[in-house]
Formats: sequence, C-alpha cells, structure tokens
Amino acid sequence: MEIMDLITPTAVIANMRVTSKKQALQELARRASDLTGLEERQIFDVLLERERLGTTGVGNGIAIPHGKLPQLDRLYGIFAKLEKPVDFDSIDEQPVDLMFLLLAPESAGADHLKALARVSRLLRDRNICGKLRGCDSADAIYALLTETQASHAA
Amino acid sequence: MELANQLILLGSALLLLSILAGTLSSRIGAPLLLVFLGLGMLAGEDGLGIQYDNFQGAYLIGSLALAIILFDGGLRTPIRSIRLVWGPASVLATLGVVLTAAITGGAAIYLLDLDPIAGLLTGAIVASTDAAAVFLLLHQRGMELRRRLGATLEVESGVNDPMAIFLTITLVELVAGTGGDMTFTVLHGFLLQLGLGALIGIAGGFLLAILVNRLDLAPGLYPVFVIAAACAVFGGTQVIGGSGFLAVYLAGIVAGNRRLRANQLIRRFHDGMAWISQIVMFLILGLLVTPSTMVDDILPGTIIALVLIFVARPVATFLCLIPFNFSRAEKLFISWVGLRGAVPIFLAIIPILGGMENGMQYFNITFIVVLLSLLLQGWTVPWVARRLDLELPPVQEAEGRVDLDLSAQIDRDLIGYRLTETSPGANRPFRQIQLPPRVRLIVVLRDGSVVPKYKIEALHPGDYVLLLCPPEQVLAADKLFSSRSKRAGREVRLGDFVFDGAKKMGVLADEYDLPVSRQQRDLTVGQLLTDLLPNSPNVGDRVAIGSVELVIRDIREEEIAEVGLVLEPEHPHLLPPGALGRAGALFSRLRRRPVVMDGNDMPLGPKAGLWERLRRRASKS
Repeated sequence: MEIMDLITPTAVIANMRVTSKKQALQELARRASDLTGLEERQIFDVLLERERLGTTGVGNGIAIPHGKLPQLDRLYGIFAKLEKPVDFDSIDEQPVDLMFLLLAPESAGADHLKALARVSRLLRDRNICGKLRGCDSADAIYALLTETQASHAA
Repeated sequence: MELANQLILLGSALLLLSILAGTLSSRIGAPLLLVFLGLGMLAGEDGLGIQYDNFQGAYLIGSLALAIILFDGGLRTPIRSIRLVWGPASVLATLGVVLTAAITGGAAIYLLDLDPIAGLLTGAIVASTDAAAVFLLLHQRGMELRRRLGATLEVESGVNDPMAIFLTITLVELVAGTGGDMTFTVLHGFLLQLGLGALIGIAGGFLLAILVNRLDLAPGLYPVFVIAAACAVFGGTQVIGGSGFLAVYLAGIVAGNRRLRANQLIRRFHDGMAWISQIVMFLILGLLVTPSTMVDDILPGTIIALVLIFVARPVATFLCLIPFNFSRAEKLFISWVGLRGAVPIFLAIIPILGGMENGMQYFNITFIVVLLSLLLQGWTVPWVARRLDLELPPVQEAEGRVDLDLSAQIDRDLIGYRLTETSPGANRPFRQIQLPPRVRLIVVLRDGSVVPKYKIEALHPGDYVLLLCPPEQVLAADKLFSSRSKRAGREVRLGDFVFDGAKKMGVLADEYDLPVSRQQRDLTVGQLLTDLLPNSPNVGDRVAIGSVELVIRDIREEEIAEVGLVLEPEHPHLLPPGALGRAGALFSRLRRRPVVMDGNDMPLGPKAGLWERLRRRASKS
C-alpha cells in the first residue's frame, strides 16, 4: 500500500481556508463528494461519527479523519494544508494544519488498516511535515507526498 | 587546626566539583555515579595524591549513606508499586541473588582456578543490584518505564542487599572457619536477618509516622528527626543481628505512604540527603582504590564482570521471572539493568576487615566489576529501553510547580504553576479547562496583578495559577498546567489513534474490522483490555487484536481511561533483524558433523567440544 495508490494530484488542496474543526470536515466532505460522486452529507456524517469515537487529531498539527462508506469502489485519499491551524481536540491539544482524509469501502478490511498505517507513518515524519508546511502549490505537495515512498521502498 | 580547615576546603571542593561534573556528564549521558567514582579516583593516590585507605571509615560512611539512600527510595515508593511487584521483586531479591552468586562463583572457580569458597565469595559480593544506581538511573533524564517494569527493578534493588550481605558474611565466616554446625547457623542467621529486618522496619515506619504527627517541633526539625529515626532503625536492627538495610527501606515505604506532617519539607530534605549520600559514598569508594595496584586483577575482574553481565544475571532473571508473565523484552531489560554499585564494593570491604589474606584482591576485582557494570550497562540503559520499545511518553511532572504544605490536618496542598507556551492549559478558552475533582482554582496572577475569576477568558503563558489540590490529584493538575518537556530523540508514542476507555468494543471493532467475539463486543474497550491482560492493567500494556494492538494510555481512578490503537505493531529487537538468525545458522553449521570427504578426516565423536570442531574447520580451509 503506497500513498500513490491512495491519492491523485487533484485530491490535494494547498491552502484550505477554514476556521473550525467542523468546517474543515465539511470542506473535506465536499471535496470527497466531488471525487467519489457520493453525497456530501453522508460523508460528513461518517466523519463526524468517527470523531465521536475519538479524535483523529493525532498530534503535532496532524489530523487523519477517516471512515467507511458502503458505496465506495476503492480507497480515496484527500490531502489538505490549512491556511490557518484550527483547534481539533487533538491528543496533544495543538491546533491542526495538515489533514489527510481517508475513505474506505465497507469491505476494505485489512486494506483500510494498511492505508491508515501508511498515512500515519508518513505524517509521523517531522521532516516531511516541515516540508509540507513550506509548500505553496498543490503539485509540490503531491510530489512530496509521493516521492517519499520511493526512498522508503529503496 | 590548619589540617581541619584544609580538610573542610578539600571536602567541599570535591563536593562542588562532583555536582558540576555531574551536570556536565548528563549532557553526554554518562551515568552520574560513574562520574563521582571517577572523581574520587582522580583525587586519590594515583591522581592528586590524597592518601586514603581507611577501610573502617569507608565502611562506616558507606553504611550510613546506603541507609539514607534506601530510606529515601522507600519514601518515594508508592504502596501501589509494592502491591504490583512484590512477587517478582522478592523472588529476584532472594533466589535471584543466590543464582547470580552461584553462577558467577562457579565461573570464577572454573575460569580463574579459585578454590570453591573463594569463588563463591566473589560471586556473593557482586550478586546484588545497587539501589543507588538503579534509583538514580531510572529517574534520570525523565526516562519513563512501564510501571510494573520500573517498580520491579527498584523494589528488587531495595530489598536484595540483605541476601547478598548475608551470603558474603556467611562465606567470610566459613573461610575464617569458626566450625560448629554450619547449616543450622546459616539458616538461623538468614531468618534472623530477614525477620528482624522486616519486623523492625515496618514497626519503625509506623512509629516514625506517629511520632512525626504527634510531636510539635520547629518545622526545620521534622526532616532532621526523620533522618535520625531512619538511622536509628538501621543501626538498631544491625546491632541486634537483623538486616538494617531491609529495615530502613521498609521503614521508608511505610512512612512514605502515611500522611506526614511537613511532608514536603521532609521529602525535599531527603532528596538532598540522598544526593549527598550518593556523591560522598562514591567519592570515598573512588578514593579508596588505588588503580596502580589493580593491574594484576584487571583480567580476572573483567572475566567476572562479563560472566555476571552476560550469563549470570540474565539466566537468574529469566529463571526467576518464569511464573510472572513478563515479556521477553522486559526480561532482557531487567537482565540488563542489573547494575552493580556501592553495595558490592562495600561488601568487598568485609573480607579486608575480616582479615582475609587475599582481601585486597576481592576488593580490586569487585571494583572492576562495578566499574564495568556502570560503564557498560549504566551508559546504555536508556538506549536499551528505547531499542526494546519499553519507554513510555514522558509524564510532565512538577515542571514549574511550587508546593506549599498547609498542615497535617488539612488534606489539601496549595500548589502553583507558572504557565509556559507548552502547558496544555495555556492558550485555551478557560471554560474548556476541566479541573480534576476536588481541585479549586484560587487565583490567577497576570503581570503582577490578580485577574478576577469572572474576567478570565483564557490562561496565557506567563500566568501564575494557584490551586488548592488534594495530593492524589496533583499529577492530574500537572497534566494541565506544567510545561511539556521537549525531549530530544525518538518520540515515544502510544498508538496512532486514541479512544476513550469507556467506548463499546463493538463500535471500535466495526470501524476497524477487528476480530472480537459477540460477548467481547458488549464490553467497553477498558473492560476488554482488563480481561485480556494477565496482570492488573498498567499504562503501556499492550494487547494484540487481529493485526493491530490496543495499548493503555492512561488510567484514572483504577479505570482504563484512554486507549491507543497501534496500526503497525513493532516487534522490538536489540540486534538488527536477522542477526540472531545468522548467528544461529553459523552455530548450527559449526555443530554439524564434518562430512568425510577423503577418508583422512576422522569423524568427530558426539562429545568433541566446540573448540575441537573450530580447530578442525580452521585446519581444513
């Protein structure tokens, strides 16, 4: 499972303008709706439901919201860099400015976990997060996200 | 007169130097005790030339220092830790010491050609782990271990000295050859040591707490009273033939777990006293040795140290811990933290005081063992803990906290914090901050003036916060207000995602397709973990469920409050992956019988040793 299998260049947002956790999730749901053709409301509800179980703000300004949707045909990822960090109830109480949304089909099972693990591992790298924060264009971010795995694979 | 002044200057200079050197050493990660020991050696006969070979005096100072260190260690040991680890710690402290002594002694007899009693004596002297070294090492640099692991090591080191002391004295007496029915005397002596030590220690601890709370003294006298009482417990027990070391440690535990008047004062004072004791004891021991006379003993000392570190301690640990459900990584770690320190050196004085002819040799060998143990093990403990993945994220403790003891009658303390940028309570809407139960905010000071409570919208870095807080909630308050220490190096994480321990397991299982049974689905996450864990749950405990792991992140009021989901469980290993396998393959290749190719090569009998096989392989190639 590699990042490249999860995300396309069009699924990268360089400067997302939101002011709250709810708004951030809403905006991501809207983008995901464009990408998958599913209803925005449904996606948002799934994400919100997951946040109720426990925050996906994993600390260091990172959030990995995720959820399962029965109608999906494959895994979908969206990356967003926020223009201004928002409070996300993260485990370290730090506001979030990097988000990786991951949506999985109901039947994904092990693949869902693998993809989450891969994203979590990627964003644990402080070096990469620093570079991502310095990027201004979606293309540069996409390149960064996907280039890293070449070095991982090597 | 002049001499007295010079001695004072010299002593204080050494003390100052030790403290300064200690600060520097922590930057390069050198174990502090090693620094003190080294300074003592530098100041001694082969360095600056201070002549000191008063073994009697060193024995006196060493006893006193050790008693104070053990008492302080006891004061800091919560009863909960004891309940958690008394089983493994007591087996390690008794059977473990005997096994370590026997294996090390056996190796000494076999490898160094010592006569049996001398060999066993060597083993006994180095058999106990050192409380001073273990306490200091585990608390230095904010290393946080799983509670069961850290507590096992601490309690073991606190209670294993009597066994080693007892073995040593018995063997010295055997050598001296007093005759008589030895088995009876030995067993009798042992029971007396343990029994009296435990009895006087526990009774003394209770009595001490009662006296402290009843007596009306000048505040400054409470800690002095306590330390005098601790020394009295130690001395008294020793005089009537019990183990003073055990007694003083137990007295510390008992007293430390009761409410004491002037609690803070006593703790602060003892903290300082324990430091002085550690420095002075190791300085004196460093002064006592004369490295130039040790040359002949370096080789045997090194052999004993290596056997002890790599064979005796691990074998003893693994055998003793069989019934206790420790993971392999934890057992390896406990084996590695078998630090030797002052106690062995101190025990090695006994043969000299006992007038044994090779007394000095025991002392030198022991000194080398301790030195190597501090160097090899002491220096690498944090690294090993990381490597074996046994560390927990640092708890923010007391960073920037001031405590005020109100009175023994009031069960709440006044505590204050100066918030920093990294305090979790800072820069957050005040309404969102949930104070722990029974904790009251008294006042917030900003820029030197009081902020009325209704006006507080958020707490800022630089604010002073004063709270009225029951002692059991102090840690919870720390979590909110003290600053987070930023530690260099790899971060310790407990899981990728975090869940409330009260969530239903079924919800979690659906979200991540976890294989759990129908009954398990109805449990909360916390209940399930409690059920699946072999021991009472502790922060850092992990349970594998399918391909992921659940790890306990926080426990509040005996309930699992927070759980982490580990998506990619790592399997800790000390050596690079494959190294063990390769070594195993090489080993089995060596063991395999050589194939007879040309008839000249005699097949080896099954009893041919490893050496013989090696020799043949070498000559063949």
